Amino acid sequence: MEVFLLLATFVKENRMRIVKPDTQENTLLIGFPSNGLVGTFSISYLIHHLKMKQVGEIEVEDLPATLFVEGGEILGPIRAYNKKNIFIVISEVPFNQYFAERFAFATHEFCQKNGIKKIVIVSGMGALNQAKATPKIYGLVTDQILENILYSNNIPKFLEGSIFGVDAAIISVFRKSKIPALVLYAECHPFFPDPEASIIAIETLAKILDIQIETQDIQNRMDKLRIQYRNLMEETIRTLQHDKEEGTRTPQIYR
Amino acid sequence: MKDIDFEFNMTFPIITPLFDDIEQRILSPLSCLREYNNYWMVEFDLPMVGKKNINVTFNQNVITVEAKLKEQYSEEKLGKITKFEYFKKSVLLPGKLDSKKITSKFEKGRLEIKIPKKTDGTIIKIN
Repeated sequence: MEVFLLLATFVKENRMRIVKPDTQENTLLIGFPSNGLVGTFSISYLIHHLKMKQVGEIEVEDLPATLFVEGGEILGPIRAYNKKNIFIVISEVPFNQYFAERFAFATHEFCQKNGIKKIVIVSGMGALNQAKATPKIYGLVTDQILENILYSNNIPKFLEGSIFGVDAAIISVFRKSKIPALVLYAECHPFFPDPEASIIAIETLAKILDIQIETQDIQNRMDKLRIQYRNLMEETIRTLQHDKEEGTRTPQIYR
Repeated sequence: MKDIDFEFNMTFPIITPLFDDIEQRILSPLSCLREYNNYWMVEFDLPMVGKKNINVTFNQNVITVEAKLKEQYSEEKLGKITKFEYFKKSVLLPGKLDSKKITSKFEKGRLEIKIPKKTDGTIIKIN
């Protein structure tokens, strides 16, 4: 009887904690070049597919001046978009550790100014030798409040591993703030552009945001995207590689 | 993990720079070279390519991959449209290699070439 009562209380308490995810609150999606360019592909596809409007640019202190020209229009490398309650921050340049931290702080400032209630980062998780398998996606949250999003969308939790680079910088900033963050890690080829993995990320984002997104367009263009984005992939690897080499240097005191 | 699968420098491979040849309509594919204890693994990203249109050669530690695209790939560079028809790249491998035991596979537009290392060292006795 005692056991039954305890169990009932436990179930009751657990039920009380389950809150239906609010898909209408201001949500920021973040994409930047990383493994397989998963974030770049999936977030830029969403901007295009949802016909989102550019609402500004994010300035990162000391970032070397880079501009893009599209149809005669000058664009900054880090831009912000919006449609209804969905906000997006996308970077078209990879960041080293120094700029990753500045980018994380600038993103946090953007969240505070725009009443963002949660952020979702889309990234890739390097997985070699899995050519035949369908890529999987994992989730990591900085606050228990977002755990229910993982459960209700059948997203397995990222249980073990190490994170570095931009992902780590953003997580570090947001885990200390009041804005909870969810990171989606799609299994991908770590060194080649992987639009196939980004399709899984897009489908998962659609479920989280409770919106309809057709992925046929990206499926049709997968091969061309892999060729088109070769240079960005190479630049991303070089940036991350440089960071890693810098990071493993012997500290001054031991030289 | 099997001993044979142990990989050196797990995190990052050796990346060879990309140089497209606009005149010859040749694209430089992305490639990565990874070292394991008994072999080297070279991988080439070859989208828009069929298995039958890939040619791989090995000569004096250099792996060369040539592949014809299924269809022309067009790219606009500096306001000019450039068309490409082939992929081509050579990768230099270090050390002694066993060219007779090289194997390869092509899946999802990615070519993996496994090149075993040649071991001809002498055994040192421990007294």
